[in-house]
Amino acid sequence: MFRIIRKSLRTGVVTGRYSKAEASPERISPEAAEKTKPFRRSLTIREVDTGSCNACEMEMNALANPVYDVERFGVHIAASPRHADALVVTGPVTVNMERALKDVYKQTPDPKIVIALGDCAVHCGMFKGSYAVTGPVERHIPVDIRITGCPPRPSEILKALSELRDGQRPSGS
Amino acid sequence: MADVMAGVEQLKAAYGNSVVEMSPVHSTPRLKLNKEDVPVVAHYLHTHPSLRGALSLLWAVDHRPHEARYELCYLFTLAERKDWLLLCTDLEGDDRLFRSITPHIHAAKWYEREIRDMFGLIPVGHPDMRRLVRHEHWPKGAHPLKKDFQWDTVLERAQGNYAFRRIEGEGVFEVPVGPIHAGIIEPGHFRFSVAGEPIMQLEVHHFWKHRGVEKLFERERLTEAVPLAERVSGDTTVGHSLAYCQAVETLMQVEVPRRARYLRSLFLELERLHNHLGDVGAICNDTAYALPHAHCGRLKERIMQLNDRLTGSRFLRGVNRVGGVGIDLTHEQLTQVVTELDSIETEFTDLEKILFANASLTDRLETTGILTERTAWDHAAIGLVGRASGIDRDIRRDHPFAAYDELLLKVALYRYGDVRARMRVRIDEIHESIRLIRDIKRHIPQGPGLTLPTRVPARGTWAFSAVEGWRGEILYVVMAGEAGQIHRCKVRDPSFVNWPAIQWAVLGNIIPDFPLINKSFNLSYAGNDL
Repeated sequence: MFRIIRKSLRTGVVTGRYSKAEASPERISPEAAEKTKPFRRSLTIREVDTGSCNACEMEMNALANPVYDVERFGVHIAASPRHADALVVTGPVTVNMERALKDVYKQTPDPKIVIALGDCAVHCGMFKGSYAVTGPVERHIPVDIRITGCPPRPSEILKALSELRDGQRPSGS
Repeated sequence: MADVMAGVEQLKAAYGNSVVEMSPVHSTPRLKLNKEDVPVVAHYLHTHPSLRGALSLLWAVDHRPHEARYELCYLFTLAERKDWLLLCTDLEGDDRLFRSITPHIHAAKWYEREIRDMFGLIPVGHPDMRRLVRHEHWPKGAHPLKKDFQWDTVLERAQGNYAFRRIEGEGVFEVPVGPIHAGIIEPGHFRFSVAGEPIMQLEVHHFWKHRGVEKLFERERLTEAVPLAERVSGDTTVGHSLAYCQAVETLMQVEVPRRARYLRSLFLELERLHNHLGDVGAICNDTAYALPHAHCGRLKERIMQLNDRLTGSRFLRGVNRVGGVGIDLTHEQLTQVVTELDSIETEFTDLEKILFANASLTDRLETTGILTERTAWDHAAIGLVGRASGIDRDIRRDHPFAAYDELLLKVALYRYGDVRARMRVRIDEIHESIRLIRDIKRHIPQGPGLTLPTRVPARGTWAFSAVEGWRGEILYVVMAGEAGQIHRCKVRDPSFVNWPAIQWAVLGNIIPDFPLINKSFNLSYAGNDL
């Protein structure tokens, strides 16, 4: 017990101990900003992997660690697409995952947004053209926001998510 | 060598008539056998008390268009001194049948199904002839690794369902899980049969992420495929790229500078550290103990940020190149690494005390998900999963690569095979990795970090390499094609071997413990599915 308290006190607050990302080159489109309006400052995400190399998953998981602590921005990760406002899709969409991706999209209640995370999801990356790949994601479901990088750093994902939040401010109440 | 040669002589004495030819490949003895005799020889090699060969890899090569034959190669690791021994056989002309060794050697089960899917060669006598990589919606006759199959073929969609093994009876029901899971993890399907709480059967149905990696390798040049190897399994970036580079270096006869070999060991240990730290936390988190998860997540993040500062990539991408390393570190950077790791080790030791003082955690971990030594041996389980079940194998010690021939290594070994043992292996390896990195800093020589390859290997020559990644042994077989192209590249992530083993580790456990057991294995889906 005392050991745990001592450990926590000695460690202190680590949230925010990372180098901030530069602004992403791709701006959020007005349509995407409009679509995110209903979610204001609370966004529930369901992550779907359609054939990534699992580096993007590791960075998504890192978002939940105490250093990035994505929940402080009102971003929550849901266990089911039925609870989600946004789908974060990684990977180039393999032949075997194509149907599962479309299913998940159908299962997610409207209104919803789709975020393509990583180079593979955006333009198939190194796997472009392979017999086993049918992507990119936007070939199968409409994509609203693209976050490039192989993989994008957690700080870059955070930056994109916060731009999403800010993007709705001017048109918001 | 003496030991393995004695083994070869023993095999020849027993089955001399079956051996067509004997020729070593880069100091590994290779016996070419009559096709019909492979199962008996393999059985002898696997079961004879003085040999006890574990099947490490089974792969096929399509030699077309130059020669009309398929070649099958069986790599065994002998029990005593972990020497390698290769058995090979040919399927000439239009011959598409070979005799399955699975009835005697469990470990061959997935390999033979994979070969059937990828090459259309039929393992006669295999007890399970369902598709593995090709899901049921793939059209008939599509075998991607055959040379007449174009890499960018657009597959039509057929109909069909995977026939799961079923247990029927009163009170028995099936629980399907996946391919999309509740956490942020990769896709895979698990089919449980349960009666009440305990699991009676688990069937793993994978390969949702099959991206055609091995076919994509065949489009690359030998020296240029490192980025692809880095993306086979993102969390094992260094392990995979290192195994690939080593195979190509053997093939191109490149002497890697000593400094580069030390740096490769350093990066490999950094990768082991961040993954093991994350896993220790995640195992605790799956017992709903969030505190260590938060601390481990923080420590892991420190290493990822350290990676980023050193190399510009949190996953250490771009570190390995054919002929050495692409990034050299200054003395100040090495000091910085050791200082950071010293502080992490102190913190981790504090955390360990908290972990082991927690009786309810121990209660959840002990006797959960036991993989017995016998089952582990039967499935040739490797890496940290094997070492937690008493399988004393570590490539860093048994077949030293990079700088491990000059570094002293203590291999973590436990026998219980439960979740706790797998966590203990990780904890021991965290300390060992930090110690190794201190040693590396102390002994690293000065000199260049890269030798550029000049020689173009002859078509049809090949080499294999093994690297002990954080999950276990990663094997690569690379065969040269025309003018520096790749003819065939076989990739074997340890996950491919350990996934079948997990089906046995969960038996008798309850479904709520499955995530915990799965986490303690922490296998890659991407590396398995390719």
